[in-house]
Amino acid sequence: MSLLGVSDLHVTFSGRGGVARAVDGVDLSMRPGEILALVGESGCGKTTLARTIVGLQRPAAGSVSLRGEPLRYDRRALRAHRREVQMVFQDPTGALNARQTIYEAVAEGLRIQGVPGSEEQLVAEALSRAGLRPPERFFARYPYEISGGQRQRVIIAGAMVLSPSLLVADEPVSSLDASVRGEILALMLRLVRETEVAILVVTHDLGLAWNVADRVAVMYLGRIVEQGSTEDVLTAPRHPYTRALLSVVPEIAHVAPQVLVGEAPDPTRIPAGCRFHPRCPLVASGEAARLGIEERCRAEDLALAPVADAADLLVACHAVAGAVVPA
Amino acid sequence: MTAVPATEPAPLLRVRDLHVTYGVRAGAIPAVRGVDFDLAVGETLGLAGESGCGKSSLAGALLRLLPRGAQVTGSVLLDGEDVLAMRPGRLRAVRWTELAIVFQGALHTLNPVQRIGRQMGEAIRLHSPAVRGAQVSARVGELLELVGLPARRAQDYPHQLSGGQRQRVLIGLALACEPRLLIADEPTTALDVMVQAQVLRLLEDLQQRLGLAVVFITHDLSTLATVCKRIAVMYAGRIVEEGPSHEVFEAPAHPYTRALAAAFPVIGDPAFRMAPSGLPGDPPDPRELPSGCPFRPRCPAAVAVCSSTAVELWPAGPRRQAACVHVPGSGVAV
Repeated sequence: MSLLGVSDLHVTFSGRGGVARAVDGVDLSMRPGEILALVGESGCGKTTLARTIVGLQRPAAGSVSLRGEPLRYDRRALRAHRREVQMVFQDPTGALNARQTIYEAVAEGLRIQGVPGSEEQLVAEALSRAGLRPPERFFARYPYEISGGQRQRVIIAGAMVLSPSLLVADEPVSSLDASVRGEILALMLRLVRETEVAILVVTHDLGLAWNVADRVAVMYLGRIVEQGSTEDVLTAPRHPYTRALLSVVPEIAHVAPQVLVGEAPDPTRIPAGCRFHPRCPLVASGEAARLGIEERCRAEDLALAPVADAADLLVACHAVAGAVVPA
Repeated sequence: MTAVPATEPAPLLRVRDLHVTYGVRAGAIPAVRGVDFDLAVGETLGLAGESGCGKSSLAGALLRLLPRGAQVTGSVLLDGEDVLAMRPGRLRAVRWTELAIVFQGALHTLNPVQRIGRQMGEAIRLHSPAVRGAQVSARVGELLELVGLPARRAQDYPHQLSGGQRQRVLIGLALACEPRLLIADEPTTALDVMVQAQVLRLLEDLQQRLGLAVVFITHDLSTLATVCKRIAVMYAGRIVEEGPSHEVFEAPAHPYTRALAAAFPVIGDPAFRMAPSGLPGDPPDPRELPSGCPFRPRCPAAVAVCSSTAVELWPAGPRRQAACVHVPGSGVAV
């Protein structure tokens, strides 16, 4: 059975600019012990989706469920949910209280949740599992006395001390130095191996996904537009948006960079038809017209659909769907 | 650093034995500890390194933009004239017209309550006295178009522009007085991947069209490899490796560069799949640098002599140098 289920999830915000459909119909599931990378540009809704999965944000429609049990939004149910689903934020310095010792920071979750057993032992275990050894050496220290990489380890220890079944990590290494980055990613891989925790990594960094993720989901303007195994999505992408994202990664020298014009568009004005069509290179180049699908690109919204020649790969593109003869 | 042969033309920028030290009275913190490099007209140099390695202090020193407490020694020769020794009037004239800088964080550099055109016009009036009246707004429009924005954007306030557009405005502003040298300090770090690619492409295009020399500073080695001809890697206040960018990125000579390059995985390469690579430990405290090679405590290739040998940049192949006892040119028995 799947660990996490997200079904037809919608999250909206209203403001001066109108209603922003930050998450606009997302379906997603995760198995225990897997790492899923949720990638996309800023403003695509990936952080909102992550916060909704943790229960920090209430959906307008649809549901988040854990082991088939839909999340309810009363206090008790939310507290129980947050024990199992822990969030690791981007900036470890901002996420730690400067006046709290490392011990207090890690023990806080245990106290809120009222976890029985020896607090000191649990804190020590969590710290050493996060690579801070010997743990007692860190108990009385303050965040400013340790390095950025160690702070991120403290944050991870604070999340893991509750033995969660899912960690949601929002850009967990983007504020860290390059040489420290790999150590934190290696720690995430080790945690999955040792504890069967599943990790949803929210990131704009495709290299990170290649480093640690079993699967990748690409999000654009509130929707997942391509989803599948990391190998499929990152080495043989089908969606023109995924292709464009990959082409601007500096390491891929052999691909001609396809720099999309304009920035990620506005969730208060989601275009009709395929939401990517105003920036889509297939439409702009006339390729969509040649395939005879341009009208549909402009008018027909579409959901993720399986691809004939790649098991478990899902793509939301008229060109891809059009090329496939249904079995 | 090896001597430059007499046949080569004099460089646009020649930096020699540059040191930047903070808090001299309250216990010195050496941020830059003896940096040498040359930059020819129209050349691009990438300066890579992690936070605290001294790269931003170095950039600040080149334009004398460091806070008062910073002590700068050595020389920064711009066309043979030492920037560090210039009188304030001369320095003002040289900034903007000869060398200009683009910082990261475009959001905070622009005045939020002034239209873009007015801010750009002010800079032009201040630094190119020859441009006057209607010519100023024409020049503003020209600069906006140069960086790929429509001239009518001059009417906008900064908040009406996106992050990438604001960064373009800042690049246009830096180019207002046609400098020959542009220093770009993490110009794309705060931007999104796609926008980052747009800004990088713009910088590359401008560099070629205007024959600009660029010092490009970032922690992202892979970005530098695509944009710059040469790369210099800094660690603990010194350049530890320098050479042609693709050679440095693809076949690093210094173990630190090797670790940095490995931190940016090649998508599709099985060697990086499920195998993130990093370095144990953290950069050293500049007040308590280890003896010998400052990278030694984190170095996977450290040997006994590393703690006693003062490392310097040794030849590591044609047009390449590295500060490691393992490079053939070190002459150190390991």
